[in-house]
Amino acid sequence: MDKMEKTIEIFRLSKSFNGQNVVRDISFDIKKGEVFGLIGPNGAGKTTIIRMLLDILRPDSGEIMIRNASFCEETKNLIGYLPEERGLYKKLTVFETLLYLGALKEKDSKERAGMLLEKMGMITHKDKKISDLSKGMQQKIQIIASIIHDPDFIILDEPFSGLDPVNMKLVKDMIIELGKAGKTILISTHMMEQVEQMCSRIFMINRGKGVLYGSIDEIKSRYGKNTILLDFEGDLKNISGIIKMNNSGNYAELILESGTDSQVILKILAEMVRVNKFEMSTPSLNEIFIQVVEGT
Amino acid sequence: MSKWRIIAKHEYLTNIKRKEFLFVTFGLPLFFLAIMGISFLFMGIGTQSEENNIGYIDRTGLFDSSNLTKYTDEELARKDLLDNEITNYFVIPENYTATGKIFIYSSRKDFANNMKIEGQINNFLLDNLLKNEPPDIIQRVKKPIDSEYFTLNENGPKSEDSGFTILIIPLAFAMLFTLSIFASSGFLLQSVIEEKENKIMEIILSSVSHEDLLKGKIIGLGALGLTQVLIYLVLAAVIILINPVALLLIVSQIHISIPLLLAGIMYFLMGYLVFASIMAGVGAVATTSREGQQIAGIFSLAGAFPMMFSQFIFSNPNEGLAIALSIFPLTSPIAMIMRLSTTDVPLYELMISILVLAVSAYFIMEISARIFRASLLMYGKKPTIKELITYVRQN
Repeated sequence: MDKMEKTIEIFRLSKSFNGQNVVRDISFDIKKGEVFGLIGPNGAGKTTIIRMLLDILRPDSGEIMIRNASFCEETKNLIGYLPEERGLYKKLTVFETLLYLGALKEKDSKERAGMLLEKMGMITHKDKKISDLSKGMQQKIQIIASIIHDPDFIILDEPFSGLDPVNMKLVKDMIIELGKAGKTILISTHMMEQVEQMCSRIFMINRGKGVLYGSIDEIKSRYGKNTILLDFEGDLKNISGIIKMNNSGNYAELILESGTDSQVILKILAEMVRVNKFEMSTPSLNEIFIQVVEGT
Repeated sequence: MSKWRIIAKHEYLTNIKRKEFLFVTFGLPLFFLAIMGISFLFMGIGTQSEENNIGYIDRTGLFDSSNLTKYTDEELARKDLLDNEITNYFVIPENYTATGKIFIYSSRKDFANNMKIEGQINNFLLDNLLKNEPPDIIQRVKKPIDSEYFTLNENGPKSEDSGFTILIIPLAFAMLFTLSIFASSGFLLQSVIEEKENKIMEIILSSVSHEDLLKGKIIGLGALGLTQVLIYLVLAAVIILINPVALLLIVSQIHISIPLLLAGIMYFLMGYLVFASIMAGVGAVATTSREGQQIAGIFSLAGAFPMMFSQFIFSNPNEGLAIALSIFPLTSPIAMIMRLSTTDVPLYELMISILVLAVSAYFIMEISARIFRASLLMYGKKPTIKELITYVRQN
């Protein structure tokens, strides 16, 4: 994996606003063709990192290399971006919008716009004004706009926020498809399940500082198989030897105290509730995330 | 095509279709023309309706007329006036030559007509008082001067037009300039705020640099402003073609128009740059369009200052206030055009004014660009003055 070509290298990046350190001494790299997760709670500094990647903001210190070169105006043409705060020109038509946004990437995107609209089932709306489209349709246009110029590197900032289930699936499929096509994708999100499903490696940031970095499997194994995934019916109470319990009613994640025998716990559980499924596992990314953020 | 050009083209083409642009470009001049037309029409009606039938009672025994009806009995005159046989009558009392007093009676109040009646009575009185003088003397007493003005310098005398015609053209010129500068920089403000409110700004900035975005907007909307001026000029040309009176007014001005036009274009461009940069900065800082309009209003008010003092500048073009306004960068584009069209502005004042404007345009653009860069993506949060100063100091 390490021998793969690096698309993006971030080295000791820092940024502060009004004396507040939003990003502190962060380094990671993204390899060509991988789906990379930038994760962290809201306000951790994810969007600031992305904006620096796109040269919308300038870092106070540190360096960003894209394809072994410093950022220049042409670099922007290589990148597709779906920001968290997204919108479109209300008065332009769908087609005008896509052509203009394509032109800003110095691409004549007439054909590709038609092709993508067709694919998303939006071709009949191509001459409609954006303001006449439903919110779900506008989201589709924003998604198309982010890849209108067929970029090699795609940055998606909270891609699932505000999406309806149909579009959520659409974005998911798009990410998988783009990944298969060999595109490099950076997903920034706080939704761990999605990251766990789609990303191979992650960088976790909390309060501006990098806290976890590596492949998901490797990170999980670092935490060991100390977690019980339990599918049950009944009333689950605290059990000694369990340091943490994430109970969702009939599903729970139990974190074992080190040295606790899982078989003992199973016996206690069998008496307490009806056990439908009992599985020893590595903690979920969500649990790791919570542990890291809470500092436990 | 470099990216600022794509943006300029986009701004130009989307804004030229705006209702506001069409209104300012075609609506306002038509509106003014309509108002002028209507007032001309009313003036026309006024002149046609009269032919005052005036009567008089002469108690001095000095006056006689073939045009006016002479009454000896005031009761009769009063009756004729009430019966609308005559429109007015006047009484010349016995002590008239000592006091100049005349009593004029009308059946209704009509201020517009009073001047006319007085003129008729004036003529009647003069004709009688001077009946022993030759006709040309009577003429001279009635209109003693027909003036023509010259300015004298090393090159000899130069004829100058006087009065109304010389003022109306520069004033119209200045008004259209002001309109164009404010309209196009207003569009710039709107376009920045709209992109922020639509939340498309971040997508745009992921494709172009702040500098290209700002440059594209300023140039695209500046071209729109020039288009507007061009349309005004074409409209003016059309009016001249269909109205020979207007042609005469303009032709008599041509000797001052060409240098004025050159200065005009320069002041227009630099004035636009100053206001467009300010509006870009305001647009970047403002969180809603209403807030943007409010902040922009302060600057526009400053810019419109010379219009408010136009009377003063035209009548005292070389006094302190006029000079100050023609050097201060927010007011100089309009104030200097006004001065240039009414007086010979000393060359050094012109140079200072242009220099101050150019230097301020540069600095305002620089400051605005920095504010633009730092605050474009601060949705819903307006930076404090202290933060703005930090932005300006950065890089």
